[in-house]
Amino acid sequence: MWRVTIKYLAARKLRLLLTGIAVTLGVAFMAGTLTLTDTVQRTFDDLFANVNRGTDAVVRSKAALKSSQFGDSRPPVPESLLGQVRAVPGVAAAEGNVNVPYAQLVDSKGKAIGNPGQGAPSFGFVWSNNSKLNPFRLQPGSNPPRSDDQIVIDKKSADKGHLHVGQRTIVLSQQPSKKYTIVGIAKFGTVDSPAGASVVLYTTREAQRAAALPGKFTDISVVAAHGLSQDQVKANLQRALSSDPKIEVITGKQLTKENQDNIKKALGFFRTALLVFAAVSLLVGIFIIYNTFSIIVAQRSREMALLRAVGASRRQVLTSIVGESFAIGLIASAIGLVLGIALSTGLKQLLNVLGFDIPGGSVVVKPATVIISMLIGTIVTLLSAVLPARRAATIPPIAAMREVSFETTGHSARRSLIGALIVGVGAAILAFGLFTSPKNAISYVGFGALLVFIGVFVLGPVIAQPAARILGAPLPRLKGMTGVLARENAIRSPKRTARTAAALMIGVALVGFITIFAASAKKSFAAAITDQIKVDYIITTGRNFGGSGLSPALAERIAKLPAIEAVTPIRIGPASVNGTVTGVATVKPTAAATMFDFNFTRGSIASLTSNGVAVSKSYADKHHLSLGDPLPVKFSSGRTVPLKVEGIYKRTELAGTFLVSLDNYAKNESQQFQLDFQVFAKLKPGVSAAEGSKEITPLLKHYPTAKLQDQAQYKNEQVSSINQVLNLVYALLFLAILIALIGIANTLALSIYERTRELGLLRAVGMTRSQVRSSVRWEAAIIALFGTVLGLAIALSFGFSVFLALKNEGFSKFSAAPGQLLVIVILSAIAGVVAAIFPARRAAKLDILKAIATE
Amino acid sequence: MTTTLPPTITTAARAIDASKVYGEGEAAVRALDHITVEFEAGKYSAIMGPSGSGKSTLLHCLAGLDRVTSGQVFLGDLEIASMHEKELTKVRRDRIGFVFQAFNLIPTLNALENITLPMSLAGRKPDQQWLDTVIDTVGLRDRLKHRPSELSGGQQQRVAVARALASRPQIIFADEPTGNVDSRAGAEILGFMQRAVRDFGQTIVMVTHDPIAASYSDRVVILADGKIVDEIIEPTTDAVLDKMRALGA
Repeated sequence: MWRVTIKYLAARKLRLLLTGIAVTLGVAFMAGTLTLTDTVQRTFDDLFANVNRGTDAVVRSKAALKSSQFGDSRPPVPESLLGQVRAVPGVAAAEGNVNVPYAQLVDSKGKAIGNPGQGAPSFGFVWSNNSKLNPFRLQPGSNPPRSDDQIVIDKKSADKGHLHVGQRTIVLSQQPSKKYTIVGIAKFGTVDSPAGASVVLYTTREAQRAAALPGKFTDISVVAAHGLSQDQVKANLQRALSSDPKIEVITGKQLTKENQDNIKKALGFFRTALLVFAAVSLLVGIFIIYNTFSIIVAQRSREMALLRAVGASRRQVLTSIVGESFAIGLIASAIGLVLGIALSTGLKQLLNVLGFDIPGGSVVVKPATVIISMLIGTIVTLLSAVLPARRAATIPPIAAMREVSFETTGHSARRSLIGALIVGVGAAILAFGLFTSPKNAISYVGFGALLVFIGVFVLGPVIAQPAARILGAPLPRLKGMTGVLARENAIRSPKRTARTAAALMIGVALVGFITIFAASAKKSFAAAITDQIKVDYIITTGRNFGGSGLSPALAERIAKLPAIEAVTPIRIGPASVNGTVTGVATVKPTAAATMFDFNFTRGSIASLTSNGVAVSKSYADKHHLSLGDPLPVKFSSGRTVPLKVEGIYKRTELAGTFLVSLDNYAKNESQQFQLDFQVFAKLKPGVSAAEGSKEITPLLKHYPTAKLQDQAQYKNEQVSSINQVLNLVYALLFLAILIALIGIANTLALSIYERTRELGLLRAVGMTRSQVRSSVRWEAAIIALFGTVLGLAIALSFGFSVFLALKNEGFSKFSAAPGQLLVIVILSAIAGVVAAIFPARRAAKLDILKAIATE
Repeated sequence: MTTTLPPTITTAARAIDASKVYGEGEAAVRALDHITVEFEAGKYSAIMGPSGSGKSTLLHCLAGLDRVTSGQVFLGDLEIASMHEKELTKVRRDRIGFVFQAFNLIPTLNALENITLPMSLAGRKPDQQWLDTVIDTVGLRDRLKHRPSELSGGQQQRVAVARALASRPQIIFADEPTGNVDSRAGAEILGFMQRAVRDFGQTIVMVTHDPIAASYSDRVVILADGKIVDEIIEPTTDAVLDKMRALGA
């Protein structure tokens, strides 16, 4: 029996290839993701281990706030602590560190170095004279900074900005920007810069000034005396500093672990996101393989029956099919694994291009990657073949004597019932996840969506016939007999058509959903900006993520311009309210009152004092807050301030849940959150926009990252930033669509093989080759359109459900994106036609004589 | 048989010094060996011969389904041996009717659609009056909306004959048209074909191994080893049987 399996595999190389590709691509995606993240993780693990090698302990304050969004906030420690630390027995050396959250280098042409729009962040640190504690290594010809106007910069920024030792350059910080002399260029360990960030290294005093932390350190690094372990020196330090409960001590190893874990967390998100898309590709692959094996079993039923007739047992027939799928799964997974590993290097390059620098290092292929990829690929293939194999095993020996049996039509009340039931349960779980916001809501939504897909897949054959008839209705008029044949062929095997279309349905549903979601988000966002902001200028950094913003000095300088009536920045930082760490936003109340309309139901922006907080209406309702109620807020400085509710507002798109006054925020949030996210400005009455710009533009020369926009430009930029995310998701879903198209090609190829005789006859009685090709192409187009229409129907219902669920959270407008959906329909019809190119050519090249020869 | 004749309008199909060789060198098989033959218009001709005599190859080459290795093939006054595939397809569609032994019909089309298939492919409207005549002749009026799977073997072959007649081709080629049906249905089909020639002036060339089928024709050409070895005018079943027996078939 095994020999039969192997013979079959060898004889059907093409089929094998097409079936295998469905698995290979999904596995490659998965293996590529795992390899990439493992490689990046290992590289950073090594980097941190290397960088922190000389640090035996770190003394710092305990985290005031821990937030996954903003990171841990630790208040600085006083300079005087350094003396205490140095005096502790077992401490050989100690240095105070100052992290400057924003230190943007400017090149000789006055442009900000790097890509402030989306690149890695820019930091500043103290140049440590203790080589054990200093991860930076000076390059030849460099000196450490000796005075407050001297700096050392990282090699990457130096190369990028064409900066060299001896040159003078501007560095932007939270303080007014200042010119420095570059005295040195340094590498971070062995790499040019830490993860591509740009780094400025100052003297201690200058770093304190730039970070607005005079007389303070971020933390203190310690080198233990010879022969003393990290744990011993940590114990000594803890004992000596125990009087201050806000201080904590960790070992160098713990620091390394912390650094590595941070990377792991960031990578984990990235990894999960990519794996979700890999899973989608594999899911589509399952549908394809299931379909292929179903067709193969139907085509070989006579042969199976013959095997049974000559004495093969049911089990043997089953084993032969399962064996075939096992071999395909194994080979395809192995190829996918190799492909994925190769792909990971490509992805790494892509990340580099995006500005997320990953230091060089060899590719890490963990055994787990190999095992998981091989296992999942093979199991997926096996599972998809089990049902068809069982069907093959039930073929009675007598079938050998009959004509080749065609598949049943797929109409059955039981099928309709089961399909509808699965869709119903899936929709219910989906709705539960969306509307009751349980824990792990995403899992409910995902599982519900999966069930809906499976339900529609089960229902597919029932609706395939009428749907294909409707979709193909214009064909006879357009293409005559060619069109009739295309439509009839698409209808003749509803199960096959439905299964093929279902694979495409998944990809299209996801693309459609994302499109609708993005269109609605854009519409809602645009409406929010139009409704809630009335300003003349908005100054942004064009940065969507990363730790920096605009120097507060800029807003202050703009406020002093004669043309300007009012200016307010927006800043966002972490705060703990009622035990939950969340974001808190700030504006200058008097200025903001003339610019924003957050729809206050109680109080107003203008009346917001430094002792008050305004909260969103939904939060107020949930916590039964009304005007004047106390609401203590713990800020990142560690201070808990007894604020009172001074306003309640409805619109949260820009303001978020909590709004405090700027002086309150400036006093209580840590320095690292004191950068302006955006600055809003309003002109004096009667001043033209041109006059205003004339005054503001020269100022911006000193702030190369700042970008001046009017409200319309701002709206366009904010809305189009959604497109970037959208394009990324499209790119990731492309693979699933590609696999589905391969599925269409595969089904058609198998169908054409089965219709050899019929095609021969058609050719004999006068069908031209181009008519044959056209007929196959239109058949593919109908199948593709069927899958697309199903997918878009699902997309619309998902999209609308999500809209309803998020309606009160800023998702105020729904857009079905009819234009884009129409484009999707047209594109998928074209894609179907493209998928049909190869099968159509095969059909057209068919040898008439061989086809019609009767024995 | 004889020397080359100038083309005349009464000749529906001709092969001149036609050879067909399969394979090369030692393994070469000569299916047609310098055959010259012509089939008169308005006549019912049969091609007979033992298995492997080349009778099907001759039919395929005359019908533009296969190409001769050397020599010429005329359909009326059209030389088709040197035609491109595209032109040849049009010739088959517009000038030739086919009846095969089995798998004559497209399973997704109903009887009427199958009958008008060549014209639909050409984008032409059938001549309704003629179509009615053909349908009534083969007696399919009440079966037109049925799909092939709902028709008996004999009915399916009648649909095939109707299709061959419906476009009024210059010539109909039939390859063992009764090979797959019982003798009663076979006699019916052969009768229809005979009527098509006698009553409507149609030209038919049929390959068969059945002497009874051959006896419906006006003339039988007998092949052996790729050559024409004999012919019978106005054949009877017995005359055909005798000649075939003489060939040892």
